[in-house]
Amino acid sequence: MTAAPILAAEAVGWQFDGRQILDKVDLEVSRGECLVVVGPNGAGKTTLLRMLVGLLQPSSGTVGLEGTDLASLSRRERARHLAYVPQIRPTRVPLTVEQMVLLGRYPYLSPFRGAPRGSDFEAVARALEEVGISGLRERLLTELSGGEQQAVYVATALAQEAEVMILDEPTTHLDPSHQREIAALLLDLNRKAEKTVVAATHDLNFASLIADRIFALRGGRALACDVPAKILQPELLSELFRAPFEIVREGERPVTLLELGR
Amino acid sequence: MSPRTALLVLLVLWIVTTLGAPLIGSQAISLEDALAGDGTAATILWRIRLPRVLLAVLAGGALAVSGLAFQTLFRNPLAEPYTLGVAGGAALGAVLAMQLEWIGSAVGFPAVAAAAFIGALAVSLVILGLAVTRFGVEVTTLLLAGIAISLSCSALILFLQYLADFTKTFRMVRWMMGGVSVVGYGEVLWVMPWVVVGGLVLAVHRWDLNLLLTGEELAASRGVSLLRVRLAVLGVTSAMIGALVAVTGPIGFVGLIVPHILRRWVGHDHLYLIPACLLGGGIFLAICDLGARTIMAPAELPVGILTALLGGPFFLWLLIVRR
Repeated sequence: MTAAPILAAEAVGWQFDGRQILDKVDLEVSRGECLVVVGPNGAGKTTLLRMLVGLLQPSSGTVGLEGTDLASLSRRERARHLAYVPQIRPTRVPLTVEQMVLLGRYPYLSPFRGAPRGSDFEAVARALEEVGISGLRERLLTELSGGEQQAVYVATALAQEAEVMILDEPTTHLDPSHQREIAALLLDLNRKAEKTVVAATHDLNFASLIADRIFALRGGRALACDVPAKILQPELLSELFRAPFEIVREGERPVTLLELGR
Repeated sequence: MSPRTALLVLLVLWIVTTLGAPLIGSQAISLEDALAGDGTAATILWRIRLPRVLLAVLAGGALAVSGLAFQTLFRNPLAEPYTLGVAGGAALGAVLAMQLEWIGSAVGFPAVAAAAFIGALAVSLVILGLAVTRFGVEVTTLLLAGIAISLSCSALILFLQYLADFTKTFRMVRWMMGGVSVVGYGEVLWVMPWVVVGGLVLAVHRWDLNLLLTGEELAASRGVSLLRVRLAVLGVTSAMIGALVAVTGPIGFVGLIVPHILRRWVGHDHLYLIPACLLGGGIFLAICDLGARTIMAPAELPVGILTALLGGPFFLWLLIVRR
């Protein structure tokens, strides 16, 4: 990782209700890499991601986008570089897929212009194509399965035409086949479309499947950050999750299994 | 039917209602006489019925579009100026102004309307402060706060009525029933700019409102300034509701019924929904008012009574189907 980081958090901290949610976390994301943040519930993963997109101002430290302080950029400018897919629950948003994806164009729309331009619709068509859901264009979001909905949210972020995509728990509510589709989709976006991807999850095998590097977060502190083979080790994992893990397949992308340990 | 076609149909219905409703009423009038400028018929048509229909059309549109804005802003189909106590705040302000006889006006802004506006805005801000947390909108808090504020406003209004002398009490009670019976165009000309400006400001925010449908978090990450949008939308709706309530009194439930029906018909895109509510609300209230002034002819009911009679059961039905 010699290239200058596209996104960097420097000693960011966040306090809420007298509790230290994040404590002096340093994180560098290189252009074109796929970085996965793992950690137990309450580790501060979502807080960290929200800071990386600029939704949350760190109470200490700074987040820089290509060397510029995020806080100094306007909301729309930030949105042209960073696309966020929050953790979604089954949605009741009653829009069609196309209407939803078109909303990703917000950072480029002017309130005083009548309608989105041809270039906006082209970006929407491209995003639907890339995610492979062009066939769903006219369908209502509420009629879709959880996996399809997640794909639509990813397409919305793609229509934003940002270099960096930041996803919070992209597979939490999905069954294995949909998890696999989302993993393949993120890999494609990362490798073929050259998007920088940052995702948070507590699913270690999902992380192992897609990550260039894994960032382990526990109790608001950075525990380690390295390639999957280095992070997915029994000692480190038991420290991270306070639970015993067995590595059932070694290699570049290890597969782990939770042990009962009785 | 595409949203565009639906809008066109609404526009045609709106024109038909606005031109047709003045011709119907307890007193049969001949259009020829009225157009010829003949005494009674002309007076009834031009001085009484047309202004009344125009006020109904404007008021209905304003109420419906305000309801829509509240529902999107708070992401709840039960939110509207009446359920959230904003209209109650406006009514309290107006009644206070009547009781204290705040007459006179600053820059053409009558005291009653100013007081209604301040009441509406104050309640909006209180609700915003109570219900919006950093985790988004707390819907239960929102609706409960609306009920609590409405009840408090009603109690204070009753208190003011108790203090008022007989004539003032009658004026307040009659005003509280909500109605659009006016003579001449003064009220129409007063309400119109508020509705036009309000509609335009909401239309400018149509993308923000569309994005809010998808959730605060997603909207903010796309570049929407939640605070700015909330303040702008609440500000213009409060102004509209304040200006309107000062003239018509409270007319409930239009903002609940009309957007609900129109969403099913034209979809959820605010590009179409905002004009659809302005037109559809107008049609709805003008037709309700047509009913109000003909079903008990020659007596004329205040239209607020009729919309409340329709709205109560509709609200209950909405609660049942949402379960």
